[in-house]
Amino acid sequence: MKIAFLKKRVILFSILTMTMLSWQTQAGPGENNFKTACSSCHTIGGGKLVGPDLAGVSERRSEEWLIKFIKSSQSLIKSGDAEAIAVFKKFFKIPMPDQPFSNSEIKDIISYIGGASTQTADAAAATTSDEAIVAAEPSAIDVALGADLFQGTVRLKNGGAACNSCHDVKNDAVIGGGILAKDLTSTFSNMGAAGITSIIGTPPFPVMEAAYKDKEITKDEVRVLAAFLQHAHSKKANQQSRDYGLVLIVAGIIGTIVLLGLYSFLWSGRKKEPVNQAIFARQKIVSTDE
Amino acid sequence: MDVRSQISMIFHLDKCIGCHTCSVACKNIWTDRKGAEYMWWNNVETKPGTGYPGKWEDQEIYKGGWVKDGEGIKLKGAGKKKGLLNIFHNPHLPVIDDYYEPFTYKYLNLIEAPAADDQPTARPVSLITGKPIDIKMGPNWDDDLSGTPDYARNDPNLKKLSKAEQEAMFQLERMAFYYLPRICNHCLNPACVASCPSGAIYKRGEDGVVLINQDKCRAWRMCVTACPYKKTYYNWNSGKSEKCILCYPRLETGQAPACMHSCVGRIRYLGNILYDADRIHEIASVPEDQLVDKQMELMLDPFDPKVIEAAKKNGVPDSTIRSAQRSPAYKFIKTWGLALPLHPEYRTLPSLFYVPPLLPVMASVSDTKNTEQQAKIGEVAKVWDDKWLYNTTTEELFGSIEDARMPMEYMASLFSAGNTEQIKDRLKKLMAVRIHRRWTTVGDISEEKAKGALKEAGLDGKMADEIYYLTSLAKFDDRFVIPAAHREQAIEMLEFTGDKKGSTGFGFKEGTAKRGL
Repeated sequence: MKIAFLKKRVILFSILTMTMLSWQTQAGPGENNFKTACSSCHTIGGGKLVGPDLAGVSERRSEEWLIKFIKSSQSLIKSGDAEAIAVFKKFFKIPMPDQPFSNSEIKDIISYIGGASTQTADAAAATTSDEAIVAAEPSAIDVALGADLFQGTVRLKNGGAACNSCHDVKNDAVIGGGILAKDLTSTFSNMGAAGITSIIGTPPFPVMEAAYKDKEITKDEVRVLAAFLQHAHSKKANQQSRDYGLVLIVAGIIGTIVLLGLYSFLWSGRKKEPVNQAIFARQKIVSTDE
Repeated sequence: MDVRSQISMIFHLDKCIGCHTCSVACKNIWTDRKGAEYMWWNNVETKPGTGYPGKWEDQEIYKGGWVKDGEGIKLKGAGKKKGLLNIFHNPHLPVIDDYYEPFTYKYLNLIEAPAADDQPTARPVSLITGKPIDIKMGPNWDDDLSGTPDYARNDPNLKKLSKAEQEAMFQLERMAFYYLPRICNHCLNPACVASCPSGAIYKRGEDGVVLINQDKCRAWRMCVTACPYKKTYYNWNSGKSEKCILCYPRLETGQAPACMHSCVGRIRYLGNILYDADRIHEIASVPEDQLVDKQMELMLDPFDPKVIEAAKKNGVPDSTIRSAQRSPAYKFIKTWGLALPLHPEYRTLPSLFYVPPLLPVMASVSDTKNTEQQAKIGEVAKVWDDKWLYNTTTEELFGSIEDARMPMEYMASLFSAGNTEQIKDRLKKLMAVRIHRRWTTVGDISEEKAKGALKEAGLDGKMADEIYYLTSLAKFDDRFVIPAAHREQAIEMLEFTGDKKGSTGFGFKEGTAKRGL
C-alpha cells in the first residue's frame, strides 16, 4: 500500500519535472512559428527536405533579404533578385508559399534558427541530403494501395479528397487526374520520401492545407502514397504519354474530314435539294421580314 | 385459300370537279393540329401536274414502293438491310419544301390594327415558325394549271410521250386536264408496313385498314420513304408518323369516311372485297404487264359458295360477306371491269381504284393551211401562222377513243403500268354506256349502233343501265356499303359484358339538385 503510494508520487514528480523542463526549452514564438509554418519543408541541420536546410541561414543571407523572401518569395524572384532565382531553380521551382508573418515574428524565427543551428551543427554533418532520396524500392502491396488511395478507389481514412481530384500522375495504374495542382509524376526525384511525407502530413500550400483541414491523412496513408509516387517516378519511362496535345485536335479534324468524305460517298445518291428548287430559285423572293 | 375482307374504294374521275371539299373535310377532322398542318391525308391533284409532294410519282427521287428482285420483290428504298444502313440518316426523305411550308394569315390584324395612313393587311405567317413568310408553295399550287412548265411539264408520267404529244397537251388554249383525288390506298401489300423498323404499322385484320400505332412509332420515317404514294407523313411536333386512317371511328359506326361523305361530285364509292391473302406475294411479284389482271384475280367472287365457306372458316362474319356481295367496289372492279389501280407498278396492290376519266371533248391535231382563213381576217386582227389545226369535229357525236385529248400512254402510265389496252378497254365501256343512254333517252343514235358499241365493249343493256344507275343516280347506301365492324365482339373478347348487366341504364350521371321542402 505504501509502496504503491510512493510509486505514485515518483511518477507525479517526474511528470512535473518534465513539464517544467519542456516549458523551459520552449524558447518563444519563433520556435512555435517555425514548427507550424516552416518545418514541413525545411530542417535546421537535418538536410534538405523540400526546401533548403536552414542551418546557418542568417550567415548566408542578410536579414532584410530573408524577410522579403519569407513574406513573398515569388515577388522577390519576379523582381529579378539573382540569389532568389538561384535558390528557386536549385529547388526544382517549387514556389515557397507566402507567409503572413510580421517583421518581428520573422526576426524571431530567424533568431530561433540561429540558435538551433549551433546545437544541431554536428548532427547535420552526419547526414547528407542525397542519401535521403536513395531509398529501397517500396513493396508492391504499398504501391497498389497507394495507387488506390491516389485515385480514390480506396477512401482516405479521415475523409479527405483523393489526390487525383487536383493532381495527375502519368501512370497506367491510375486514371488521369486533375490539372488544378502540380503533376506529381517526378516529385519523388525532387523531394524524396522525406519531403513527400512531410508535405502530405502537414501541407504547406494554403489550398491543400484548407482541403485537408480536419481530414488529416494518417501516417500509414502518407507512407503508401509516398511509396506509390516513388514507384510512379521510377516507372515513368515505361508509361504511355497521356498528353496528346495538338495531335488530338489535328487527328480529330482529319478524322472528321475522312468521315464526312466517307458519308458523302456512301450517300452520294441522296436527295440533295427539294424537288421545287428550280421554282424557288426563280421566284427570287426578296424577303420583307422586319 | 386465306379469305379476308378488305375495305376498297372507287373514285370515279369523270365526276370529280376538283372542289377540294374532301381535303377540307379531312383536314378539319384529322390534321388541324400542331405538327400536322402540312399534311393532307386527302389531297386533289391536277393532272398533268407534279402533285403533292412534288413529283411523288418519280421513284428515282423518293425510292418508294417495291421493285422486282429475281422471282420475288424487295423494297426500293427501305427494307431490313437498307433500313439498318440508313437508320440514322434516311437519304431519300421528302423535306418540308417538297410538300410546302404551311401558313396562315394574321387576319386579326385587319380589325385590330391601330388607325394609320395605310390599310391594314393580313400578312402570311408560317405555321411552323410562327414568323412572317413569303409564300412560295402550297399543297395545290398547280391547281387547274395543266400547261405550266413548272408543274405540268414536270409530270413524271409524261416521260413515255413523244415531244409532239407533250407539246399538243401543253398549249394553253388546248388545255386538257383532270383531277386526281388521292388518299392512302390501304394496300394489300403495303410497303410502309414492310419498311417499319419498329413494327408500328399494321393492317387491321377485319377490314384491312392500315394504321400506325402511335405508341410504337419511333420516328425512323422509313415508311415515309417506302410509301410510293407519299401518304405517310411525319409529325414534327409529336415525333410520330401519321397517315390516313380511313376514318375508322366513322366506319365502325356505319358512317362513310369524311372525305367520301362530303364529296360534292359523289365520285367516291366504298365497299368491302373478299380476297385471297395467300396469293399476295405471288401476285405482287408478277411481271409488270400482268399486274392489273392478276390483282383482279386476287379478288374473290363473294357469291362463290367455296369462297363463302372459306371466308366463314376464316372467321369472316356473315354480315361482312353479305356486304361484300352488295359492294359497289366489287361491281366497278370485277363485275364491270371499269376501275383501275393507281400506279400498279409500285406493286403494293392498292385497294383504291379509279374509273379513268373519259374526257368530254375528243379532238385531234391535224395539218392545215391557214392562208384561206387569214385572208378573211382584217389587218388589225391577230394572225396565227400555225400550220396545224386543233380539230374538235368528229364524224359522229361520240368520237373514237383514239382521238382522246389525253394521250393513252399518259393514262396508261398512271393506271395500268403502261398497258394502253387496259385503258382503252375501260374508256370504251364508259363510252358505250353513254351511247347506250343517248339511244335510250334521246334516240338520235340508232339502236344498231348502240348495241354494237355495247357488244364491242363487252357489256349488255342491263349492265349498262346498272353502271348508269350507280354512276349517276346512286343513293348514299348504294355508294357506301359498310360492313358492320362488330365492335361488340371485340369487346366481348376483352371483358365479360354480363358484369355491366343491370348496372347501367336509366339514371343520373351526376347527382340531381337538392330541393329543400
